Amino acid sequence: MDETRDRLTKCFQVVFPDLPQDAVAGASTATVAAWDSVAAITLMNVVEDEFSIEMDLDDLANLDSFETLYSYLQKRLQVA
Amino acid sequence: MKITEALKITQDVWRDARPFAVTLACGFTPLHLQTFLAAHVQQALPDRKVTVSSGLYGGLVGTIEVINESPLPDGLVIALEWADLDARLDFRSAGSWGRSATNDIVASASSVLDRVAAALLRIPAGPRVALSLPTLPLPPLFHTAGWLASRHEIGLQAHLACFVAELARDGRVVTVNAQRLAEESPAAERLDLKSDLYTGLPYTIHHADKLASQLALALVPPAPKKGIISDLDDTLWSGIVGEVGPEAVTWDLASHTQLHGLYQKLLASLGDCGTLIAVASKNDPAVVEKAFQRTDLLLRPEQVFPIEVHWKAKSGSVGRILETWNIGADSVIFVDDSPMELAEVAAAHPEIECVLFPKDDYDACLKMMRHLRDRCGKEQISADDSVRLESIRQGAAFREQATSGAAPESFLAQIDAVVTFDFAAAGEARVLELVNKTNQFNLNGRRYTEADWQKLLVRPGALLLAVSYEDKFGPLGTIAVVAGEMQGGSFHAEAWVMSCRAFARRIEHQTLKMLFETTGAREIAFDFVPTAKNGPLRDVFAGLLGEAPAGAFRLTRSQFEERCPALYHEVREVRRAEAHG
Repeated sequence: MDETRDRLTKCFQVVFPDLPQDAVAGASTATVAAWDSVAAITLMNVVEDEFSIEMDLDDLANLDSFETLYSYLQKRLQVA
Repeated sequence: MKITEALKITQDVWRDARPFAVTLACGFTPLHLQTFLAAHVQQALPDRKVTVSSGLYGGLVGTIEVINESPLPDGLVIALEWADLDARLDFRSAGSWGRSATNDIVASASSVLDRVAAALLRIPAGPRVALSLPTLPLPPLFHTAGWLASRHEIGLQAHLACFVAELARDGRVVTVNAQRLAEESPAAERLDLKSDLYTGLPYTIHHADKLASQLALALVPPAPKKGIISDLDDTLWSGIVGEVGPEAVTWDLASHTQLHGLYQKLLASLGDCGTLIAVASKNDPAVVEKAFQRTDLLLRPEQVFPIEVHWKAKSGSVGRILETWNIGADSVIFVDDSPMELAEVAAAHPEIECVLFPKDDYDACLKMMRHLRDRCGKEQISADDSVRLESIRQGAAFREQATSGAAPESFLAQIDAVVTFDFAAAGEARVLELVNKTNQFNLNGRRYTEADWQKLLVRPGALLLAVSYEDKFGPLGTIAVVAGEMQGGSFHAEAWVMSCRAFARRIEHQTLKMLFETTGAREIAFDFVPTAKNGPLRDVFAGLLGEAPAGAFRLTRSQFEERCPALYHEVREVRRAEAHG
């Protein structure tokens, strides 16, 4: 597992403590009942903390799964 | 605190810990404020499982009004914002900002505040209520330029001031200090308008954290320190009194030594509010005595006891002062201008808080004085606070006479001791304060929130006994509390504390006698838990049982009567709440 994926997994575990570790990679708003609008904002802020970046609320609607967040981060971190 | 840390704090809680339920009343999406509040309260109550629930969006007043309809929470936190007073003050609202609206906004805000005040005053005793007044900027809807305070804005502020003054008079609601909050969270860095418009949370993360931190402090305040031990030279006054003489040490504006005068005023003020003040100084006692005779001292000599002045180590002085005060080092602050003296005292008393007096640094000195006020500040001052130091001074005289000259029996018989048992003291703040700050004579070390305490007292068969004492040496004030309930023919004692100032007077035996007589119980079941500090109470039990108990136990009436020593007190009883005026 690469470092970004590992750190993002930890973010998910903080926001969704009941989510089994092996379910994190497949997590999405469709599969995680606790991933509501409040959790989405919390997750965004936890990711901001972890990766020392600022995210835009406009991006929130598209970041609806672990994989989309991971792709987003890869792009952001490459630019940085 | 970061949001990740806050989430982890709320998750790393012992699953079976006793719950502590907080209701958060706010009109916006609570989101991070809720998370941070839970984390800060959890940090203050590590042995509880803190949960924070919130009401409906836009329903601050409704959340408070319906709080009586379900089991009362342990605490209620109200984060009031302008939008709660009138929807037109909400950035998310489509309401008009026109001229016709502004007068109406002020009037409707007043009406909402009346509703909130009425709802708060209807909440039964129990939950502690912490309130923050609006922290966000008003929208630019009034007709004046922003650098002027418009009459409408002044009107809103006036209504808020009346509202919070009325609540403060009632004493049930504590309010976050807006100035202190502004130091932690500058006004210009509080509003996150995009977050407000997108998510309904108007706060920046930083502001949510800082506001939650202040609300948590208001909801679960730390126990105040009980005493301050101060150095003299270049601390209480400027100059070395042994070198320049008692008349030449200064603490005034003309000598540019006003910092020491301010420090004296602070100590005097803290002493007035019940904080114990003592002196530990390496000096010539005769010279210091002369200095204390100066009439321009801002700290009155009678406010200071004991005064330890000699050339020996200060750690020894501190040890003797703690012994005289009969309190632990963890309840005390030691102030000195010498880092070396602070280190010497800290090495001998690791639990004491050592504070440097920064004599040449004005900003640091003000910071230090604010810190002392923060650590010793009290929400309410009781009658007992004003007699505490005097009772300790008299207690020292008591001990001196008790251990010299007359035999203990004849001594105790001659001191005109009066023990007063108050059966109607449930509403007295001093009672819970005593329970929560007493260590040495404490049945189990348990601490209670106001809500826990009220729950204990409203049970059927519950009994609360507050004990006060005085003798020819003077009054000690309220010095003991027993709380419990009758269960069949037994009295179950859940809390029993007695101030260390009242030791050696057999008040504990008189208290047990009163409990047996007033309840008619055959036995008393003590919810005793040995702690690192409650050895004095364990020794009392050992004297009654023949051996020290290892945990909860029962004491029968016959066991007590067999081993109870002779009691010489005059006993008085207060049975009705009216006696408290």
